[in-house]
Amino acid sequence: MGEETTTLGSINISPSALATIAYHATLTSYGVVGLAPKNLAEGLAMTITHEPARGVSVSYNGEEIDIDVHIIIEYGTRLTSVAESIANAVRYQVEKALGMPIHHVNVHIQGLHISDPD
Amino acid sequence: MNPGVQTRLEHFYSTPMIDGQTLKKMLEAGLIWLRANHQTVNLLNVFPVPDGDTGTNMVLTMQSAYNEIDKLGNHGVGQMAAGISQGALMGARGNSGVILSQLWRGFARALHNQEVMDGPALVRAFSEARDTAYKGVVRPVEGTILTVAKDTATAAATALLETDNPFEILVRIIPAVDASVERTPDLLPVLKQAGVVDAGGKGLFYILEGMLRYIQGEPLDAPTATVQPLSAMNLKNAMEDIEPGQDFEVVVDFIPTRELNLKVFYAELEKMGTSIQVGEGEGMYRMHIHVPTENRNKPTDYILGLGTITKIAMENLVAQMESIKKKSGSHIQLTNLEPGQIAVIAVSPGPGISRVFASLGVAAIVEGGQTMNPSTKNLLDAFENLPTDKVIILPNNKNIILAAQQAKEVTVKKVHIIPSQNIPQGLSAMMHLNPDGDGETVAAKMIKSLGDVIAIEVTIATRTVEIDGVAVEQGQVIALVNGILAVATGTVEESCLAALEKAGAAGHELITLFYGMDLSATEANRIVDVIRAAYPAQEIELQDGGQPHYQLIISVE
Repeated sequence: MGEETTTLGSINISPSALATIAYHATLTSYGVVGLAPKNLAEGLAMTITHEPARGVSVSYNGEEIDIDVHIIIEYGTRLTSVAESIANAVRYQVEKALGMPIHHVNVHIQGLHISDPD
Repeated sequence: MNPGVQTRLEHFYSTPMIDGQTLKKMLEAGLIWLRANHQTVNLLNVFPVPDGDTGTNMVLTMQSAYNEIDKLGNHGVGQMAAGISQGALMGARGNSGVILSQLWRGFARALHNQEVMDGPALVRAFSEARDTAYKGVVRPVEGTILTVAKDTATAAATALLETDNPFEILVRIIPAVDASVERTPDLLPVLKQAGVVDAGGKGLFYILEGMLRYIQGEPLDAPTATVQPLSAMNLKNAMEDIEPGQDFEVVVDFIPTRELNLKVFYAELEKMGTSIQVGEGEGMYRMHIHVPTENRNKPTDYILGLGTITKIAMENLVAQMESIKKKSGSHIQLTNLEPGQIAVIAVSPGPGISRVFASLGVAAIVEGGQTMNPSTKNLLDAFENLPTDKVIILPNNKNIILAAQQAKEVTVKKVHIIPSQNIPQGLSAMMHLNPDGDGETVAAKMIKSLGDVIAIEVTIATRTVEIDGVAVEQGQVIALVNGILAVATGTVEESCLAALEKAGAAGHELITLFYGMDLSATEANRIVDVIRAAYPAQEIELQDGGQPHYQLIISVE
């Protein structure tokens, strides 16, 4: 995916490279306290590998790139605002690095982390 | 200083406690001061996309916090802070708004159920605010509002060693907060590259400074002496705030020989005129001011003593105003939006129609119409900087509805599109605007109202064709009723009468005609007289629409 042909050859950008950028953009977003595995299999994989893109998936259907992030949010923040900020940050950082438009950034809130129940 | 302020200050020093009512007043002052300076904060944005306009987002968050406690009566400081926290959470916009709401949440938690707050309690509240905010992110980015909140808490703790008067503590921490904001570029390289300080941090500074200004009895309406980046200076709108007696616009570029004392600089300039703006870029300063005729050389003479002048530009505003008036008719006064109100963006093909839309309360006008469709970006630009996230677009042309839909998809604001296909429908929808209402409800009412009006558009056929069962020859006058070709005749007058009959105007009450740039006022008046004779029971109004292509746009309701 993200293929570009130049006179020197072609450049390929793998989904996991994009996932890494998205992962970092998500983690530095305010309100995010962690990423979550999207299913049990990935949860198991996360415990044995140190894949930096856990909780992030990138899909490419030949035309459009979609990014899904699965996150855990701090309890007591406004979920919609936090999710919007994440979607903006991920889109901005990935598009800046890639130079191609991202079709959708989907933010899945998998859980809440409660530091202070008030 | 007025006597009321004097007693307030004395009161604060004799009773070193913040009660619920005082906290409410302080919050209000923080909100007002932030709002007065929110454009300065907006200009500090580094990224074009994430977090849109920081200043606006923070104002909306603070406004929501204030609305929550506005109606609260006499309560202790703990309950008041809990209300603020709740309101800020509900209204949090953007990244900085979310962090601000977390700061208030921590602040409120430290004051749980307390009646009043003394110095030590204020310091505890600041440090709890910091701790809560830092818990909201795994990898805190330093050089942001988080850092400024941290430095605020540290400065408060330091101040407590010398005084336990909470007002005195506030007085002492402001310089430290200011310094912390100024340090943000050293911590965050991206700020340094862009040559700005962190916007969220600056917003927090204005909130705290507003609180301090309230306590010290300083005014909250005028923004402080500020310097903006040269690229951000907007002198194009200078014509809009021209005041009587301010006849000349003077712009001076200069390089000061020693560091400019902004406070003194502003104070001197304020003696000479108004609309003062100062910009800076790479050591070069640009000063902009409006002065009365007799003062026109004073700014130049004054600046000559400060450094080397590289360029002077002077324009006679009165003469400029006259020529602008001649060109575009009188000035169009758009509605000044309160933060959080619904902003209506109307697409208008001519100055006269724009004026009518403006008088009905639209917040922005985008020029465009039949052959000059505005782009998605034109529409976005019209509302992205408005201090609200509730937007309603009136495309007023079926070719523009798509661009409006794209604008809706691109923005983070809540946009409703009223599919108005012509000017009369747009005007009819405006009758149902309630700027303080809920976007969804208001939009539904507006959409429903589109059917209340019949639109007739009169123009000249550009080619020979047969459409909708009507044969048209090139050059004939044609009239469309609700977008469907209804008549083709030899004159504008005949077309009007035939179209009005097809529209069943006799069964309606009001007929409004907007004449375009291709029809003279005399001819328009003559046609109105003919219509008046044909429809004696109806009220007939004539307006200078100024639109191209259409000789007449008629609304029947």
